[in-house]
Amino acid sequence: MQYIEVNKLAFHYEDEPVLENISFQVNAGDFAMLTGENGAAKTTLLRNILGLLKPSKGSVTLSKKNRYGEKLVVGYIPQQVASFNEGFPSTVLELVQSGRYPRGKWFKKLDEEDHVHVKKSLTSVGMWDMRHKKIGELSGGQKQRISIARVFATDPDLFVLDEPTTGMDVQSREEFYKLLKHNSDVHQKGILMVTHDHEEIRQYANKHIELVRKEGSPWRCFSMDSCKEPSKHLSSSH
Amino acid sequence: MADTLSHVSLAGVALGLLIGTNPTLTNIIVVALVAVILEYLRKVYRTYSEISIAMLMSGGMAVALVLMGLNDTGATVSIQQFLFGSIVTISTDQVWMLLIVTLLIITLYLIFRKPMYILTFDEETAFTSGLPIWLMSILFNVLTGVTIALVMPIVGALLVAAILVLPAAVSIRLSKSFNGVILIGILVSLVGMFSGLTASYYLGTPPGASITLVFILLFGLTGLALKLTKQSKRNAFLRK
Repeated sequence: MQYIEVNKLAFHYEDEPVLENISFQVNAGDFAMLTGENGAAKTTLLRNILGLLKPSKGSVTLSKKNRYGEKLVVGYIPQQVASFNEGFPSTVLELVQSGRYPRGKWFKKLDEEDHVHVKKSLTSVGMWDMRHKKIGELSGGQKQRISIARVFATDPDLFVLDEPTTGMDVQSREEFYKLLKHNSDVHQKGILMVTHDHEEIRQYANKHIELVRKEGSPWRCFSMDSCKEPSKHLSSSH
Repeated sequence: MADTLSHVSLAGVALGLLIGTNPTLTNIIVVALVAVILEYLRKVYRTYSEISIAMLMSGGMAVALVLMGLNDTGATVSIQQFLFGSIVTISTDQVWMLLIVTLLIITLYLIFRKPMYILTFDEETAFTSGLPIWLMSILFNVLTGVTIALVMPIVGALLVAAILVLPAAVSIRLSKSFNGVILIGILVSLVGMFSGLTASYYLGTPPGASITLVFILLFGLTGLALKLTKQSKRNAFLRK
């Protein structure tokens, strides 16, 4: 099932073209990586997809429903999420619990299932013991981990992640990718992730969208589905 | 934002005095309108929010002064009261209005606590979670505006901002959690208001100024207390 469809998208800042002629899809069960050099407008593309920016030409369609026919829930980790408002008064636990709100909990009390999810996701990033700390007191790496925990607590249908692993060590990155891979393979989540570590992630991702600059022209989407993995087909066949 | 709205609020009062209706009423309407404009400007001039605030603030003040100039029927006494505030100008109607707004705010807070949490944490996260962030920001601004319009005759336009911001500043120092900050903020507000008013009664000082000074005193004291506890903790740690 198609979660994201980008069709001949172009985006201009004022008069300056930034993105042009970009088309791709992300389906339920896809682990798509989005790469490109620095300044390749990867974040701009994500913001277009999420509706934070309006494309100048072409279209972006974000599915309204997930594969069970319920409302699609998106989990977004912005770039440099760790630099969030220092003074925001909140404990780690409150922040991660807020990840459950989009799961129909805006006006309802969190139940047992919500608390289980929150505990599981905080434990998986090793931050359960820090749950009563104020978020402003954490280090950059810890803030990054609780932001990831918040998204896993949401358990979204579609993950949109903007360089979520910046500054992580190799082992944490590996674990993070495995966790995402599990989500896409077993739980049929859609994942679109901006990343720099092409090589490391190649064995996990099943789609590769690369933004390439043509001489003197804006960024354009150059290749898609270029690193399809055989194992992916195996896992989706049963 | 509180500063801008309280300055604009003066224009609302001046307008009310000029056309001879209840100034609080015109004030609420003007301030609510400006709260919407403020949100719009903030969106359009995202990177220059200082400019839009300065523009509205000085604009509000200027309109107030011009309207006061047009109105030379001796209403200056009244505008003085709105500038500096005095507890004696409060009427029974205003007490009821304050009570209604208080109940409204408490109800809205209880209902929208969670969406507000995300909205104040990060607007983009709120947007991608499917919240109507524009509508919510406007409603929040309007509610703040109405509150300011009502509180202004009591504490005075010049000190409204201090009274809105200082209790929060104190409570942010004291609590780690979002709900904790709000609850402690309310408590600090009450303590500061009552002690400030009492002091103003016995010393004959203006109420708004007295309350503000009490808040600043509390702010200083919490800072000092936190520093001392930190130090004693460190000493205890070193002694081990």
